[in-house]
Amino acid sequence: MDIGSLKKQSDLSYDIAIAKRNALEKAHSRQIIVYNEHIFRADPQTICVVRTLKETQETFIVLDTNNNPVLITDPGDFLSKLIERNQESLNSYHQMYKTFENKGD
Amino acid sequence: MTRGVLLFCFDTEHTKYHKILERCVRLIKMNLCVEITVVTNFDTYKKMSPMGFINYKFIEPELGNKLNGKAWNNADRHMAYELSPYDTTLVLDIDYFCFSDHLAKFFDTEYDFLVPDHAYDLTGRDSFDHRRWSMIPMVWATVLLFKKNEKVRKIFDTVKYVKQYYSYFTEMYRIYAKNLRNDYVFAIALQQINGFMGYEKFPFSLSTLPPDCEIVEITDDGIAWKYKDQISYVENHDVHVLNKEIANV
Repeated sequence: MDIGSLKKQSDLSYDIAIAKRNALEKAHSRQIIVYNEHIFRADPQTICVVRTLKETQETFIVLDTNNNPVLITDPGDFLSKLIERNQESLNSYHQMYKTFENKGD
Repeated sequence: MTRGVLLFCFDTEHTKYHKILERCVRLIKMNLCVEITVVTNFDTYKKMSPMGFINYKFIEPELGNKLNGKAWNNADRHMAYELSPYDTTLVLDIDYFCFSDHLAKFFDTEYDFLVPDHAYDLTGRDSFDHRRWSMIPMVWATVLLFKKNEKVRKIFDTVKYVKQYYSYFTEMYRIYAKNLRNDYVFAIALQQINGFMGYEKFPFSLSTLPPDCEIVEITDDGIAWKYKDQISYVENHDVHVLNKEIANV
């Protein structure tokens, strides 16, 4: 590989890395939801905690992003909103990721 | 309960801030769909293009502050509490562009006062790690959400106090920047009023383009910039633009 090709490949890799990083940041930002007047992050950890608690309890307490306790009275509704937002944000990231795959062609 | 966005806009000799405001207002109307109040002076107001229904509050800006040797009329943010006509107010810098409805959801929260404490560098350089520039964790007063109540009034009273004795506080907290920065004024005030303990924050980082990025295009959906011959863009994601040349894009 000559130096010109190497630089071109390096620039392309840099472009893709920055775009991927920014798309992931956007996805993380989109995962923030407001429920019962409190802020939560629709990330795997929150989804797993809510799903686990929902299996044994009809109501339960979880912590919001500022560590305030929040009573969840409709776990099914909360869980479906968390999953919806999580998948919406990751779907958007996935679409962006697919465009990276074709950039080197 | 009323809700709305409060913006501060004062042209200077070097920067047509009203041009930046016009873009900012358009995006807020498209994506946040709430009432807007602009705090400005008559000289700036005369240059603004019609932007539809907007409330205006006229004040004369406090002069004297500078950024990179140029006039920087940012010293009136401490009056946001009195100037806002809303029960719940979102204060935005006019160079914060809402390409999404991301901020709208926070109007429906019970928090009294929210501010972000992290910025995300869209150029990938992590250039906003300001811990080494002061002894106090910085907040980004670019975006503030507050409700009108006694607790928040005390926060703004403290902000005014910190601003009044800012040179003392910059020495005490060993803040490198000697010009007035609302980020530090609010960071100090929040630490003082909260008993030197924590306070509630937005759980996201402000996606920010550093001043050395050249803005090549801005649309209703997103923004493209050039940094060291590399052109990048983001869409449907809010962006804080520090290069004031955006007024000329």
